[in-house]
Amino acid sequence: MTDRYSFSLTTFSPSGKLVQIEYALKAVAQGVTSIGIKATNGVVIATEKKSASSLIDDSSLEKVAVVCPNIGMVYSGMGPDFRVLTTKARKAAQKYKRIYDEYPPTGILVKEVASVMQEFTQSGGVRPFGVSLLVCGYDEKGPGLYQVDPSGSYWAWKASAIGKNMVNAKTFLEKRYNDDMELEDAVHTAIITLKEGFEGEMNEHSIEIGVIGGGNFGFGPGKEEPVFKKLTPEEIKDYLANIV
Amino acid sequence: MDSFLPVQVSWTPQTAASGSDFYPYTNNAGTVAGISGGDFCVMAADTRQSFGVGYLINTRYQPKMFKLSNGSVLGTSGFYADGLTLIKRINQRLEWYKHAHDKEMSTPALAQLLSITLYSKRFFPYYARVLLGGLDLEGHGVVYGYDSIGSYEPCLARATGSGGSLIQPFLDNQIYRKTPLGILQAPHTLDQVKAVMRDSFTSATERDIQTGDYLELFIITAQGVDVEKYDLRKD
Amino acid sequence: MSGKNCVAIASDKRFGVKYLTISMEFPKMFQATDKTFIGISGLATDVQTLMERFRFKINMYRMNEERDFEPITLANMVSSTLYERRFSPYFVEPIVAGLDKNNNPYINGMDLIGCSTTACDFAATGTPEDQLYGTCEALWEPNLEPEELFETISQTIMSATNRDCVSGWGAVVHVITPERVITRTLKTRMD
Repeated sequence: MTDRYSFSLTTFSPSGKLVQIEYALKAVAQGVTSIGIKATNGVVIATEKKSASSLIDDSSLEKVAVVCPNIGMVYSGMGPDFRVLTTKARKAAQKYKRIYDEYPPTGILVKEVASVMQEFTQSGGVRPFGVSLLVCGYDEKGPGLYQVDPSGSYWAWKASAIGKNMVNAKTFLEKRYNDDMELEDAVHTAIITLKEGFEGEMNEHSIEIGVIGGGNFGFGPGKEEPVFKKLTPEEIKDYLANIV
Repeated sequence: MDSFLPVQVSWTPQTAASGSDFYPYTNNAGTVAGISGGDFCVMAADTRQSFGVGYLINTRYQPKMFKLSNGSVLGTSGFYADGLTLIKRINQRLEWYKHAHDKEMSTPALAQLLSITLYSKRFFPYYARVLLGGLDLEGHGVVYGYDSIGSYEPCLARATGSGGSLIQPFLDNQIYRKTPLGILQAPHTLDQVKAVMRDSFTSATERDIQTGDYLELFIITAQGVDVEKYDLRKD
Repeated sequence: MSGKNCVAIASDKRFGVKYLTISMEFPKMFQATDKTFIGISGLATDVQTLMERFRFKINMYRMNEERDFEPITLANMVSSTLYERRFSPYFVEPIVAGLDKNNNPYINGMDLIGCSTTACDFAATGTPEDQLYGTCEALWEPNLEPEELFETISQTIMSATNRDCVSGWGAVVHVITPERVITRTLKTRMD
């Protein structure tokens, strides 16, 4: 790389904006919608899985990623960028485990990923990530759901949506969400929220769902340590059957 | 405590043949301890004989305390072969003494004899950590502690050998009752002393791999020497 | 040394080079969290350096994670910090002692490159290690109450350091209970 490109591509415009970040957000806004809902006893994240052609074997597409046993995430925006972030997040989680012999709490992992994304808005020769993330996890403080944007900003949500249909989805979630929702209910809500803006037929192969918590999962005596799990097409099919 | 002799290398015919690193000692004879009381003395030792270097056990029952003809008891640890040789020499000297003086040697006299016997090999020492227990001229229990070349002192309670460093502070604590102000000796009954000995050895056996298998107690009183045997961990 | 819902940690106060005593007020333990202490024996410069490094890491953890170290997590952090220097190690042997969030005792002893052992009863390091283990084995029993635990650990450290000519010159004992930490200074032989 010659010095020509070693300056930061993300520079302030005269009006005080970082337009590269705004463009990145635009890329996210064109991406496929993803939903996250935090329940009292767990979290669910869900997304559409759109394949450009019916010839693609969609079982090979993976949009919900396991970061470490207690944390998973999903994105809207550019798939390749997400893979880079997944790798970085997984490495961060393993590095944390290497030091403390336990996996990071959700907030810590989110902070780590967010700082990587921030770095890419200020470093030379790179562009910001074209993705927003929904990160969910379950730690000793309970279930957690976070959104991370290309700028490196992050928030904790009770429920959120990112991507193409985020505005409508959020409005929908605002109506449907309540504070004492349980995980099963949240999965249900996530699916019908996705369904609102869904183009084409929704089936077990065209959406992806990840959950953590529910059942006997939690912290404390007699509880099983929560594990993030992607639902299999069969499990998704069962949920869908209950909806229609 | 172990710094008197150079680094140990177990003796094998090969090392002996090579000459330069000839080292004819090994530390294979476990632990001995002794406590003296008002009219008695308790000597104790485990019965394990190990290989010294490494984790081998030669035998689980090889007594390392010896009742001598004058009624005192000599306990050996360190290098077992040197201990045995020392015992032979001491027994022989006791025999000579008896023929020459027509009486048994007193324990304090034997203590001095033992010292000079060890010192006679000042530059090729017996690698034996010995304790001598018995009754003094007034019939009070007495224990003499030694180093390998004959320094000795009478003491209330003494532990030596591989587990000596583990047991000695416990004996200080239980028998001497050492405090910042000095020594406050509590009166001890025979039963108390036996209990302390058994605790000492079960504790040392937990942490010292060269100590274990069985505990022998030699209880010396004016009536003679009683021997008691107890189990210790075998691992 | 662990007790019933309490743990105790003790060290002597001597700092010396060979037979020259330089200080008789040399702390070898520090409080890591409300209910956890780290004690480090070994080369004094490494002891001090590590205390500062650990203090740094503990403070950073507290700020980053908005919580305090659990003793087991702390022990893992100490262990991995030592292993980072696998081939030019700090010459120390640390002990982590504390109560976890359920007030269960936690004791952990380590070698100089972080090989850690969790003990349910006691751990000892330093020059009088043999003496300490011997006395611990003989004096310790399970489920001691705080005051009994204080007595036991005090007797242990005094008896053991009195048989080690480079240890002693006073001792400090911390007894950690769910409610508070009781710190007492012991007078011992000064020779």
